[in-house]
Amino acid sequence: MSASRFFAVFWLDLKFHLRRPLFWFLIAILAFTAYKMSSGEMRIQSGDSEVGGKKAWITSEFAFAQMISVVVFLFYSFFVAVGSGMTVIRDEDLRVGEIFHSTPLRPGEYVWGKFFAVLAAFFIAVGIDLALTALFYHAIPNADAAKFRGPFEIMNYLRPTLVFAVPTLIFLTGTSFAVGERSRKPILVFVLPVALILLCGFFIWNWSPTWLDPRWNQLLMLIDPAGLRWLTETWLKVDKGVDFYNHARIGFDSAFLLSRVAFAAIGLVGVAWSHKRFASTLRGYVSPRAARRLLREPEARSTLDVDGSVSALHMHSSPVGFVRQTIDVARFELRGLRTQPGLYLFVPLILLETLGIALTQTGAFDTPLLATPGTFAVGCMDALTWMVCMLLTFYTVESLERERNTGLAAIYYATPVRTGAVLFGKALANSFVGVVVMVACLLAGAITFLVQGKVGFALGPFAITWGLLLVPTLLLWTSFVTLLYAIAGNRYTAYALSAAVLVLTFYLQRRNKLDWTINWGLLSALQWSDLGAYQLDRVALVLNRVTALGLTVFFTALTVRLFRRRDWDSARVVDAFRPASIGKSALRLAPWFVVPLVTWIVLAAQVRAGFDGKAAKIDQKEYWRKNIATWLDAPLPSTTLADLDFTVEPERRWFHAKGSFDLVNHQQVTLAKIPITIGNHFENVKWTIDGKDVTPEDRRFLCVFTPPTPLKPGDGLKLGFEYDGVYPKGVSEKGRGNMEFILPSGVVLGSFGPTFVPLVGFQEGIGIDDDNRSTSKVYPDDFFEGQTPPAFGNVEPYKTRVRITGPEAYTWNSVGVLKSEEVKDGKRTVVWESDYPVNFFNIVAGKWVVRRGTGTALFYDPQHAYNVDEMMESLDGSRRWYSEWFYPFPWPELKVSEFPALSTYAQGFPTNITFSEGIGFLTKSDPKVKLAFFVTAHECAHQWWGNLVCPGKGPGGNLLSEGTAHFSTIMLLEQVKGLQARIEFCKGIEAGYGDSRQVDSEKPMVKIDGTRDGDTTVTYDKAGWVFWMLQQLMGREANLKGCHAYFEKYVGNPDHPVLQDFIATMRPFAPDPEAYDAFVKQWCFDVVVPEYWLNDAKKSKATVDGKDEWTVTVTVENGGTGRMPVEVAAIKGDRFVEQTPDEAAKAAAMVSPDYRESRTQVTLGPGEKQTVTIRCAFEPDKVIMDPDAVVLQLKRKYALAKL
Amino acid sequence: MLSIRNLVKVYPGPVTALQGVDLDVATGMFGLLGPNGAGKSTLMKIVAGLLEPTSGEVTLDAVDVVRNPEAVRPHLGYLPQDFGFYPHLTGESMLLFLLKLKGVDAAQGQKRLVADLLERVNLAFAAKRKVKGYSGGMRQRLGIAQAIAGNPKLIIVDEPTAGLDPEERHRFYRLLGELAQDRTVLLSTHIVEDVSTLCPRFAVIRDGKLVALTSPTEARASIAGAIFEGTVDAVELTQLKRTRRVTQAILYEGRNRVRIHEPNGTPPPGFEPVKETLEDAYLVLMQGAARAVSNGASGNDGKFNRLSAVGEVRP
Repeated sequence: MSASRFFAVFWLDLKFHLRRPLFWFLIAILAFTAYKMSSGEMRIQSGDSEVGGKKAWITSEFAFAQMISVVVFLFYSFFVAVGSGMTVIRDEDLRVGEIFHSTPLRPGEYVWGKFFAVLAAFFIAVGIDLALTALFYHAIPNADAAKFRGPFEIMNYLRPTLVFAVPTLIFLTGTSFAVGERSRKPILVFVLPVALILLCGFFIWNWSPTWLDPRWNQLLMLIDPAGLRWLTETWLKVDKGVDFYNHARIGFDSAFLLSRVAFAAIGLVGVAWSHKRFASTLRGYVSPRAARRLLREPEARSTLDVDGSVSALHMHSSPVGFVRQTIDVARFELRGLRTQPGLYLFVPLILLETLGIALTQTGAFDTPLLATPGTFAVGCMDALTWMVCMLLTFYTVESLERERNTGLAAIYYATPVRTGAVLFGKALANSFVGVVVMVACLLAGAITFLVQGKVGFALGPFAITWGLLLVPTLLLWTSFVTLLYAIAGNRYTAYALSAAVLVLTFYLQRRNKLDWTINWGLLSALQWSDLGAYQLDRVALVLNRVTALGLTVFFTALTVRLFRRRDWDSARVVDAFRPASIGKSALRLAPWFVVPLVTWIVLAAQVRAGFDGKAAKIDQKEYWRKNIATWLDAPLPSTTLADLDFTVEPERRWFHAKGSFDLVNHQQVTLAKIPITIGNHFENVKWTIDGKDVTPEDRRFLCVFTPPTPLKPGDGLKLGFEYDGVYPKGVSEKGRGNMEFILPSGVVLGSFGPTFVPLVGFQEGIGIDDDNRSTSKVYPDDFFEGQTPPAFGNVEPYKTRVRITGPEAYTWNSVGVLKSEEVKDGKRTVVWESDYPVNFFNIVAGKWVVRRGTGTALFYDPQHAYNVDEMMESLDGSRRWYSEWFYPFPWPELKVSEFPALSTYAQGFPTNITFSEGIGFLTKSDPKVKLAFFVTAHECAHQWWGNLVCPGKGPGGNLLSEGTAHFSTIMLLEQVKGLQARIEFCKGIEAGYGDSRQVDSEKPMVKIDGTRDGDTTVTYDKAGWVFWMLQQLMGREANLKGCHAYFEKYVGNPDHPVLQDFIATMRPFAPDPEAYDAFVKQWCFDVVVPEYWLNDAKKSKATVDGKDEWTVTVTVENGGTGRMPVEVAAIKGDRFVEQTPDEAAKAAAMVSPDYRESRTQVTLGPGEKQTVTIRCAFEPDKVIMDPDAVVLQLKRKYALAKL
Repeated sequence: MLSIRNLVKVYPGPVTALQGVDLDVATGMFGLLGPNGAGKSTLMKIVAGLLEPTSGEVTLDAVDVVRNPEAVRPHLGYLPQDFGFYPHLTGESMLLFLLKLKGVDAAQGQKRLVADLLERVNLAFAAKRKVKGYSGGMRQRLGIAQAIAGNPKLIIVDEPTAGLDPEERHRFYRLLGELAQDRTVLLSTHIVEDVSTLCPRFAVIRDGKLVALTSPTEARASIAGAIFEGTVDAVELTQLKRTRRVTQAILYEGRNRVRIHEPNGTPPPGFEPVKETLEDAYLVLMQGAARAVSNGASGNDGKFNRLSAVGEVRP
């Protein structure tokens, strides 16, 4: 190899790459990214989210490693693929090969020179990226981001670059080079980064279920080309605290370093292989197989005596119609497409990704969902949109470029074929790719439903979602890319501009800034309900799609004008930019632009005026501004009776309400004013006090009443109201549904907000956004002494009487007991009365069927009967066992009603629980993990923990609603579904806590108020576990006695309990008060979580009295915090017998007859370790910690040792 | 009738490819002769509606090609100088596709027509082969087949015989000759023999200007008796170039066989009068035009006037 020739190639190519607009476009993207990152856009999820709390630095080695691994992979891969993969193809297109290779230049010098030139160019890009990052992170001041910035340490940048970025770049450059050299097809070059991004972005980086075997996890870490999974799983997943991340160096293990070296080696081997292959093909190498085939074919030769006149052919030409031309172009394009391997690579890839996403959708508590045709179609939408748009980008640009590349352009463009027919025909053929993908996904969906065995296949939701909503996106994108190509005139600029638009869209999507007016792909905007398709935002959807189609037509018209079938003259181009020329052109194009412009303006007006649009936000903010100072802590009267006469017309979302509140002053002070909050959708509002018309002071949706005589303590009045309205009014701003609504598919209204009834007092949650969000209130340690107000709902329970009139086809449910029901003139009128005081109430309606149990009823859509048996078992079990364990259920019936999944949640209103479709009804339950049972049991538990006793407002309050509901679920699962179901549930929520906790900001349970990152998992998962562990400590009987005492004390009590009250109530029932105090101190007043490690596990066999005996020794270490007695077990075999779904529905899993175990117990504090010995009468195969899942711990799945 | 008026094309640089060309071309074969880079292909592309001129007019039967290039395309057969085809298609499929785009048909049907056309250009044997396996000459013949397809009013062929062997070249001449009987065929070439064989009229273009519009006979007549040939060595050739107008110098058996243009009829010693060719006329014309350009003149020096006396010369 000649160094001078190698360097000649190297320099020539390096200069070429550095001068390319594509390179500088990458630099611009990197600069923009570095700038955005410098504001703390991408940080390690550690630290304290409170104002002034300790933050994770963006300048730490961990943060930069996370950033550079993602950025290099996502942003560089496409550019590297173009730079490296196209380098040989470009020379082939330019036909310089024969001249180059007739010189002494050797293939090795050519191949390696080109490869290293690309690599050097991208190393330079990395260098510039590093410099820009350091500049933005350290030199350019940004007061907002100061808290995220640590001191400059060059190694924080260099080490991650060397370990993460460099191997990735070598890998990408080498493999792209090899693909380009081998295939000589641009499409295949582009497949590589897309495939890698999809594989990593949607699978390798994210897929980590709790049940994943650590060895598989390790393997996935090592096959991640970016190295991000290793970083996340090894260092970031379990929060190690902000100090660690800010200051520590990343500890690389040898396996990971070897994998990085391997990736670099794969890249180099790819180039070496290309070198060998290039050298062999340079002189027309034909594989032996191809040679044999060629030799078999008879050779056709030209004849020399051909003659004949042209006129004898009697040719004639006639004008060809637009449609015929379009079909001809499309047919020939399709022939080309069919022969391209890209199609066969892209389609399975997209299929895999799309199915993966659609089938792993989760509902409440991360429970997997059953796919229905609608949820499947919508679940695939975003992935399909992104991937098919990327695919169409490549196919559109390459098909437009084909004539130029092949040299056919001059002949092709001189034919009479219309430009529109050429563009449309090509688009039609390329659309075929999208159609193939959609059909493949459709078939895959059909197969999925078949395998799933529960949900039937229906074409309708696919036709609506993909046919009416997705297809316009694909048409719009194709026309847009075509326009970009027509303007740019070359493939690289068209790619760069398309990529810029996609990146910007992705950014806006991630930042939740895509509203209906700019959401061209309906990304994250669709919410499916099997109960009624797209009812909430149908107007916005139609306007958005019409705008998209209008823009498609406009872009096409513009493209036909701009498409360079005839090369432009530069002087005339300048002339075209004169105002007069622009005006003329605009006038000519105006007819094409009118439709999208008009529909867009109407859409923008609808969005602005919609129920969460700008106007509504201004209303809410004004409500907050005008009233917070005066009315936040104003003393309020108590409601003793809410009487409501409610008429509903779901078809037009309309309601009319007339009713009254009986208000009594239970305060110690006289009330001269009474503030009442109304919704901004209330119209024609009228008020009365004790039957006389009154007009309150209007304080922007806060109506302030002055009673004729101030209300002295104990005095009362009847506040009457009447209004009507439409709810929700108009369309949403960004799609994604709404929590409450009146729609033809169902009605859900609750009294937590002023949606259908006024609320007494100022509502502090309304009008809060990032501008005025304040840090949470700091409560004194003894804040719970005396009377604590409720966490939600009314200060005191009250009675309700709700009369609802609506269409006959609906069932109308509310809280309490159904007192009467009559049907007249197509209207159904029902009267519900709460025969027992409640803190809040609701109305829910639908076209349901009902399944009744023992004092229970399940109202559901007939399509969603999949889990009804399991849910009924849970509902009946909840009513029976919770009544027995905690407190008798005071109402005659406990109802669960299904509502359209325009928002995924469940709310346990007294007697009237509401479940969205995704909760329970569409939960994918399996024999091991009874998820439908679990979610029902949790929500039912709120009838006790939340309704009968509403927890207090303040830290440690909501735990007595959510944590206790989880605890109740744990107990009910074991009671009804057996030990295995309980253990699986405990493990699941434990893993959820391990993954979601924030080690720096995690507060003791008595301080949890739901305002910090990570509070949710403590409120639900950790608290559920702690109450469960408390039961282990106290014993089941003592614990349930304590719980019963708690209910006895707080049912109907105006003092609402928080955790300290619960602890105090339970203590007298603890058999060992000291142990109780120690437990409470570490789990409720401190933050501890054990993490057990098992090391040096060994087994030995001995024969005692003629019997074989095994002795297992293992060192147990507590790598976490806290001190708990915990069992260590040597086991053999699987504990439970595998069950089919039918068996699981009938009985709890039995312990396997082959299962053997022997246990011992250890109690270890933080950092302590102990070698334990377990004797077994069987040959054990592994040692596990805490076999019954009774001690909360981190990384349970690793606390295992194979023998 | 193809009519070109004051056609100017300036490429960014700026490079002026055409400097105000005026030309009328009637039915029949018309040659456009000029050296490489003279502006022939630019002129062809503009006439074919593939390139926008900076200014000027081009009309075909009174239809404005510049403003309305779509109007000329149904009446156009075009063979560009440099072209290719979809490599994945067979020759037959490729031609069929182009016929469909052009709306060309025949009584025997499009498929049969494709076969016939391929036969006319001697490609029937390779009809089923993919175009990527075609040689340069085969590709050129496929290009010719598509250009002559249909019933175009105007056929533009840009350097059509490049890559063709003599046999194929003559076959192509015959085809073109037949077609030129009732339509305009614009042949752009730098090969004088093509023009000499085919074109009753031709124009010479150099540096974007039209320097002559004449017929082969007139062109030859303009230099009749003024071409002499002799054999000299390298030193003598250098001397000769300084004093005489050398039109050609070809190495023959180690010495230079030189042709000179001597309008006065007094050749140097050892030179004999020879029969003038169109190539001599063309080269004389080119030398005259080159001299005129280097002198800053319009291209009509004394020698050029001699030609213009017999031809129809435009400045």
